[in-house]
Amino acid sequence: MKKNIEAACGVVAAIALFAIMALTFFDVGGRKLLSNSIPGSLEMTELLMVMVIFAALPLVSLKGEHVVFDSLDGFLSPGFRRAQRAIVQALCATAMLGLAWLMWRTGNDFAGSGETTAQLHIPKYPFVYGMSLLCALTGVIHALLVVYPQRDLEEHEGAAL
Amino acid sequence: MTAALLGFLAIFVLALFRIPLAFAMGVVGIAGMGLTRGWMPALASAAQVVHETGFAYTLSVIPLFILMGNFVARAGLAHELFHAAYTFIGHVRGGLAHATVIACAGFGAICGSSIATAATMSKVAYPSMKKLGYSDSLSTGVMAAGGTLGIMIPPSTIMVIYGIVTETHIGKLFAAGVIPGLLTAALLMLCIVLMTRHDPEHAPAGERSTWPQRWAALRGIWGVLLLVIVVLGGIYGGIFTATEGAGIGASGAFLFALARGRLTFRVVREVLIESARTTAMLFTLLIAATIFSNFVNFTSLPGDLKSWITGQGFPPIMVIGAMMLIYIVLGTVMEELTMVLLTIPLFFPIVMALGFDPVWFGVLIVMIVQIGLISPPVGMNLFVINALLPGVGLGQIFRGCWPFVAMMIVALVILLMFPQLSLWLPSLMK
Repeated sequence: MKKNIEAACGVVAAIALFAIMALTFFDVGGRKLLSNSIPGSLEMTELLMVMVIFAALPLVSLKGEHVVFDSLDGFLSPGFRRAQRAIVQALCATAMLGLAWLMWRTGNDFAGSGETTAQLHIPKYPFVYGMSLLCALTGVIHALLVVYPQRDLEEHEGAAL
Repeated sequence: MTAALLGFLAIFVLALFRIPLAFAMGVVGIAGMGLTRGWMPALASAAQVVHETGFAYTLSVIPLFILMGNFVARAGLAHELFHAAYTFIGHVRGGLAHATVIACAGFGAICGSSIATAATMSKVAYPSMKKLGYSDSLSTGVMAAGGTLGIMIPPSTIMVIYGIVTETHIGKLFAAGVIPGLLTAALLMLCIVLMTRHDPEHAPAGERSTWPQRWAALRGIWGVLLLVIVVLGGIYGGIFTATEGAGIGASGAFLFALARGRLTFRVVREVLIESARTTAMLFTLLIAATIFSNFVNFTSLPGDLKSWITGQGFPPIMVIGAMMLIYIVLGTVMEELTMVLLTIPLFFPIVMALGFDPVWFGVLIVMIVQIGLISPPVGMNLFVINALLPGVGLGQIFRGCWPFVAMMIVALVILLMFPQLSLWLPSLMK
């Protein structure tokens, strides 16, 4: 189950990110060298960005990569920390499920108003529904982490800064 | 005003309880807005922030620069950079440490992350320094401090984020970082000179290389030079926007790593997923910080603070100095990105009201983040090196970084006193 989620989200995020890279390369190259850009490349990038961010979100939660202030960990008893982690995961699950609900409503609004991208007229609402579903998946992952806690992760910083 | 102060307090308490900072900021932002303005507007504005940040073309600059850095890290270029720097300077006392700083500066010109620079360099430079008998505290201190050059020398993730949240021109920020980055590198090398003079047996000199060896080593780094010239030259010369430059840079780094035979399908997939995860983590923070700062901006706190400070008639440079002092203290215990995102809504309006250049303040912020990344007890560069070199204790790493922290504070003071060091290059841009 965990493997399947990781694989599926990973593939979507990876393909979308590679597509953004290739799209920018050919768009800019075409514009500067051949004065011929790819029509709608900006809005395709926008749609792909949504896929990169929200498909990778469950992976971030699964790996426990969100920034936390953990300097107090050394001072707390293992029992307290276990309880604390369960509560924190439950709160994160609630927040993500709440966000999923909010984005689903936003998706309804988008579907109702029929909002599309400017040039290619791609409807936006499926992407907003997608955001919502992936937020919900992230929430479910946090909920599962209440019951099946992560093993202590190594210092995993990502390379954000 | 009280509402916003309670908001900051709530985030602090939630963070202490180990709630991820993004969740803390987002929830407090929505709750604050809900309690002061009503729940429907609060939810509507939060939803708007989420989808607008998601569907934003210009923000694709973030994953693209992250991707470029990760491809470059896998391309094995760090080794060539280190070797080239070593052939020129290896024969002086502390030569390997100097070479590490130079290689970090070069790597920083193609990678926008301090942590990635420090991590890459520790794999390359540490074994050589160990072999020559460098003390662990010196070698890890150099790698941690040198790694932070990754975010001052463009490209730089933190500059991009600062540019986005303050609506400052990212190309100008990049140009502004060049001289301060080189200045910091020079000061770090000065620090090595002073330390090795005091304690020479910990940093013996290496062998002198011949000129043919030096030329051969330089030929190994043409790829780095080409990427730097195309990407930064293109952005600086106004040929590309920062977003376009990032796309070209990521593609270039990909093709380069491919040509060097470093990329299997699996490695490409790993790099893409890793970059996407970092992107998602950053965007969660960015979205949450925007929701929170929207709430703070609805309260009277930023305005009250601004009029109080400008009304006191403090000399403006003293106000900036006081902010830097606050940042240095906060940076020892806080994660730096969160620190910047939380404080910008309060500090930035004051900086603008005092008539300072947002580009210059951006450079100071980057310097502050650099210092914070190597200040114990919470310095991420130190933790990363600790994780990669299990044989070296955290205590030794902490001891090794202090001289460099002190030297970087000197760099900060210089940048504070001479804004033209930061502002001259951007002033030449069209």
